[in-house]
Amino acid sequence: MGNMKIKAKVKGDTLKCKIQAKHIMLPYDAAKKKGIDANFITHIMGKVGETVVFEASTSQFISKDPIFKFEAKAKGIKKGDKLEMTWIDLSGKTVTEAKKIKGLK
Amino acid sequence: MERRRFLGLGLAAAALVPASLSAVDFRKEKPDAFTAHNVADAIKGLYGDIKTIEGDISVKAPKIASNGGAIPVTIKSGLDLKSIAIFQDANPESAVVAFTIPATGIVNYMTKIKMKGPGEITVIAEAKDGKFYKTSQKLDVALGGCEG
Repeated sequence: MGNMKIKAKVKGDTLKCKIQAKHIMLPYDAAKKKGIDANFITHIMGKVGETVVFEASTSQFISKDPIFKFEAKAKGIKKGDKLEMTWIDLSGKTVTEAKKIKGLK
Repeated sequence: MERRRFLGLGLAAAALVPASLSAVDFRKEKPDAFTAHNVADAIKGLYGDIKTIEGDISVKAPKIASNGGAIPVTIKSGLDLKSIAIFQDANPESAVVAFTIPATGIVNYMTKIKMKGPGEITVIAEAKDGKFYKTSQKLDVALGGCEG
């Protein structure tokens, strides 16, 4: 636990989320200079239960400790449900973390 | 890992790489998009030879980015989209990120990207009706940031 900061809340009909993962996001040319392997998150997904609410295929050009803000329709989602974020990086490592969704509903 | 849903991209890779999280991993299905060195090739790699039109998509980024290593970019659209991708022409490769918009998705995304220097961000959106929309913004970078 503790790799990702996840903030999610339901406001009216919308699920609003902001997440930040800890990751070096080292691009190929910087890695070459440092003499180590490039490594960066390549895919990241957010689900609430079985519903995918966010999905992105990412590159070495997303900033270090990547931040994403996203929204989704809150149909079927309510306060107390868990937003589960999963990312996978170039080395094959996967991290999954979940956080309860807050809200006024 | 259970496979979620296929968008019927047609060029989907045949091999199931074990480390894949879902059906729509653009890096696996459209690798040319992510290795292309200019925006036009990257767009072709992701979406094929497409004609883009102007429409309800917007990109917002600071006109002068103080830190090239973390430039906030917000993309929004009111259209019914399948996917939306950000490209730029200031880095060795052009594709930055491709979002798959889920069934309940709302297109209002923010993330922070790296740009080595001043350039132009191009956003291409693929709508559910098969149309492609494009918008772009030029920006200046005070301190280049591919070094992280």
